[in-house]
Amino acid sequence: MRFRLSSIWSWLALAVVLIWTLLPIYWFMKNSLLTPAEIARFPPPLYPMEPTPAAFFNIFGFEYEMADGLVRRGSGQANQIIRGFYNSLIVSAVVTLVTLVVVLPLAYVFARLDFPHKNKLLFAILLAVALPPVSTLIPFYAMYVQLGLSGTLIGLIIVTLTITIPFVTWMLIGYFRNLPEVERLARIDGFSRFETFLKIIVPLGRSGVAVAAVIAFLFSWNEYTYALFLVNGTTANTLPTAVSGFLFQHPEASHLAAAVMLTMVPPALVAFFLQRHIAEMNLVDPVR
Amino acid sequence: MSRIHLDHLHKTFHRHVAVRELDLTIENGELLVLLGPSGCGKTTTLNCIAGLEMPTSGRVLFDDEDVTAASPHQRNIAMVFQSSLLYPHMTARQNIRTSLAKQRLDRSETNRRIDEASSILGIDGLLDKLPSQLSGGERQRVATAKAIVRQPTAFLLDEPLAALDAALRLTLRAELVNLQKRLGTTMVVVTHDQVEAMTMGDRIAVMNEGRLEQIGTPDEIYNRPATLFVAGFVGSPPMNLIAGEIAAQEGRTPFVAKDFAFVPGTPVGAAGPATLGVRPQHLHIQADAAEAAIPVTVFAVEHLGRESVVILEDNERNKLHALVEPGFAGRVGDRLHAAPSPEHCLLFDEAGKVLFHPQHEET
Repeated sequence: MRFRLSSIWSWLALAVVLIWTLLPIYWFMKNSLLTPAEIARFPPPLYPMEPTPAAFFNIFGFEYEMADGLVRRGSGQANQIIRGFYNSLIVSAVVTLVTLVVVLPLAYVFARLDFPHKNKLLFAILLAVALPPVSTLIPFYAMYVQLGLSGTLIGLIIVTLTITIPFVTWMLIGYFRNLPEVERLARIDGFSRFETFLKIIVPLGRSGVAVAAVIAFLFSWNEYTYALFLVNGTTANTLPTAVSGFLFQHPEASHLAAAVMLTMVPPALVAFFLQRHIAEMNLVDPVR
Repeated sequence: MSRIHLDHLHKTFHRHVAVRELDLTIENGELLVLLGPSGCGKTTTLNCIAGLEMPTSGRVLFDDEDVTAASPHQRNIAMVFQSSLLYPHMTARQNIRTSLAKQRLDRSETNRRIDEASSILGIDGLLDKLPSQLSGGERQRVATAKAIVRQPTAFLLDEPLAALDAALRLTLRAELVNLQKRLGTTMVVVTHDQVEAMTMGDRIAVMNEGRLEQIGTPDEIYNRPATLFVAGFVGSPPMNLIAGEIAAQEGRTPFVAKDFAFVPGTPVGAAGPATLGVRPQHLHIQADAAEAAIPVTVFAVEHLGRESVVILEDNERNKLHALVEPGFAGRVGDRLHAAPSPEHCLLFDEAGKVLFHPQHEET
């Protein structure tokens, strides 16, 4: 009896979480498949009666001829969307790669080696995460204008790294600390410290590596604040700012919805392929 | 194969002294057991021999060559760690192969050695499994195979059997000794289990608080313990230790405890506080009182089949152990007398040094 009661509660909790997360996604999916006239109707339709992929063609600049002969024109934001998608992929890929290259050794050293002032340095890293991005926005902007980095991809990549590196380091320290003590084994086998890290620790901790990659990718993919100030309106525009551009133009809700759906595809793919590792990794407090 | 010599080995961690001025020689082809309670410095000593720890002072010599500063790999030792540590993400075969990664052997020689080691250990069928798919005993065998493929100068084993269940421990320790004798390679085993030490070691080095208490054959350690610590640590059930003092009398030095006295055959050194030690098999239970018998109450009787252990309490509620025939009829609460057999009594001075050894050496 107790078991059944608790299972009812867990099902209920699960249902709440699913509705919470899936309902907005469903709503955008639905809107992206409707015509502007259908979206404007009140009360709004709960599901698309005659779904049309028109918006997905339009946001890439293509025309789409409806069944009734009506032609829906390509979106004026199309160039921004295509370039934004491309830029976002570049920024996310580079940020992910650089984050991994920097963070894996950094987190490993903090987790497994002892050296003077270790805890102070560790908290310095935490401090970097604790600063709200908005507080560094103006200084970064002023600096970037002088350095000629505003409106460039490299500028955006650097700013994003200042957040992903400390955050992911902090996260991975606990994970590395829980790996078995294979270093002694590796020393007996004749590996140097660096070889041990590269040939033993990284393959052994591949779940942690995968999760670090996912976090870095998702963060830079979703990054909006800095992009809005540093690259919006330039050729280095990223997808989130390009999508927000719909708000300032002739509003076409189905295009906005379709662009949002497009934004979700790469993170969904990343999460799908690496979910096994995410489930395997248990995050632990890095401060003992 | 090599002879290992520790010369004034000293190791401190911050202010804590782990190993204190240790001098120790491990002969070529010998199986030496480092025995002691946890924290006695035995693992630190092993790590210094391995080259995993740098001694604070002193030297480590392999065949008279100073290897104190050499890396574990340069010393060509093989080590089996506590709970048979293996690389968790590699199969048994890959684990064994990694041992040879830095040996610059050609592929056929590598494979030949892996095949040979796995057939010696009987793990041919397990080579493609991950450590997590192996049982404790299988992991131990794989770890041993990983050690022997390298054909090392010495095997160093840190509590190799501690994580296994009792039955398996019995089998594997015999296998380890058999393997060591067949290969003739010097082996150092660290353990806190005195039964393991007695059964495996050619010689046993008993350590306590970073110091070497005694080194000797299992027989010497058991029958002629040099210190009170060794006497109390080795043997199961433990040796009975009775506090008292040595009185100074003309030509005789009787040991006097509260309810009991014992006169050693030959006079011992100075008078003063002392401890008498007698093994459970040399404590005889009798109904009648005597000067050389301690009045006791039966506390518990444990039947082991071949013999029984009687746990007794003296008037100060100190526990004494006696081994008796299985037919022992005493019941809990019976008031009896326990007489140590005089020819098997040991005496230790206040500092724990042995003053008097028994005349006969038998178990």
